[in-house]
Amino acid sequence: MSINAQNLLDTLEKEYPDIPQYEIATFKATRISIGHSIENRKKGVLEVVAMNRFWNIPNYRGQSFVADKLSARIALEYGISDRLTFGAGGSTLDGIFDGFLKYKLIRQRSDGKGSPLSVTLFQNGSYRSKKRNRPFFMDVNRFDDFSDKLAFTSQLLVARKFTPQFSMQISPTYIHRSSSAFEEDPNNQFAIGAGARYKLGGHVSIVSEYYYVINPLKSVDTYDAFSLGVNWELSDVMLQFQLTNTRGMVEDAFITQTPNNFNFKDGNLVFGFNAIFVLHLHQKQK
Amino acid sequence: MNKIIVLLFLLTNFADFDVKSDQFITRQGQVSFFSYTSVENIEAKNNQVLSIIDLSKNEIAVSMLMNAFIFKKSLMHEHFNESYIESDLYPKATFEGRIVDFDPLATGAQTKMIQGALTIHGITKEIEIKTTIQDMNGSYLLTGDFEVAVKDFDIKIPPILAPNIAKIISITFRFEYRPYEK
Repeated sequence: MSINAQNLLDTLEKEYPDIPQYEIATFKATRISIGHSIENRKKGVLEVVAMNRFWNIPNYRGQSFVADKLSARIALEYGISDRLTFGAGGSTLDGIFDGFLKYKLIRQRSDGKGSPLSVTLFQNGSYRSKKRNRPFFMDVNRFDDFSDKLAFTSQLLVARKFTPQFSMQISPTYIHRSSSAFEEDPNNQFAIGAGARYKLGGHVSIVSEYYYVINPLKSVDTYDAFSLGVNWELSDVMLQFQLTNTRGMVEDAFITQTPNNFNFKDGNLVFGFNAIFVLHLHQKQK
Repeated sequence: MNKIIVLLFLLTNFADFDVKSDQFITRQGQVSFFSYTSVENIEAKNNQVLSIIDLSKNEIAVSMLMNAFIFKKSLMHEHFNESYIESDLYPKATFEGRIVDFDPLATGAQTKMIQGALTIHGITKEIEIKTTIQDMNGSYLLTGDFEVAVKDFDIKIPPILAPNIAKIISITFRFEYRPYEK
């Protein structure tokens, strides 16, 4: 007869059912900094998103409070299911309206089995309602009829949480612009995004993101989007601060149409601030 | 001669039947915790707690996965695991202890103390828990509640969120044990 020489806790260890364990919070927010992360919110969760960008006009003699220029995007993003998110928003800069769907295809397993990566599909459509009124930066699309003002972005977001602190994401991107004002500009553009976060503590992480455009516009000089930021979460509020060179907040605008490089000169350096309020509309407790 | 063999056979068989297991297990034990403050109430429930008792030695062990706690808000689940309990590093909470003066022959409910070591967030504390044990025809029901201090387990709460999380968390448990067959 076996005597219970064995520790009771060891006995329990063998009794754990083999339930798949998935990594959570590869990134804390649905955006790494400027672009989308693989994360989406759970079913019934509504995010109220206010994204802001502030920058100065070079050699401007005016007396604006804090910064010369401000652009904002207000959006609502809702979790239709635990894997599918729908969002829609409007930006003040260039009057861009956008809508997107985001689907979490593969989840990284934390128990060493299954997928070592998370994969999310992202598709958006945007409508540019206003002609740009910026010196040295002409509109690259026509404004003749409705479809001329549309652009579509498809992304395959692939990320891995390497350690509890460090996660990285690669985002192959395809952007289609419905019309071109200049013949030499490509209508279909490809880009590769790379982003990473490092968690400094339970609530604060530093993030960086970069989008490399493979076939940039030819009619105008554009630069790759870059961002360096800090993310801070406070219960139901998520705050994202960033230093970047992009002013647009919709994918086709900031990935392919950023007219300045990242440096600390007036007019080029943009300070960004995203505030995300998370509302649980559909509360459940199984 | 044949009769003797039959007798021997019966004897050995019945002798085996007499070896009753002293171990009882639950695989769907329930543990809930509550944090009540004036700012917000947080509660979570885990229905997949494992526990085993050994009545020959009056020993008890409990083990649970921290990410199996279910919250009303999905974001709370993420914050609990990511920012507070750090279930990446410390996936389980365990308890190992002894039921003091347990009388396996007593019928009905008896209230006893359990002394043992509770491990949460990688930190082990000696605690005493009052429990009610009910004998229900060969199975046992253990229920009770106790309180733990958040600071005892080195769980960091940023000052700005300190009002949202109670200093003392109350925990309730309910385990229904069945005889353990290996």
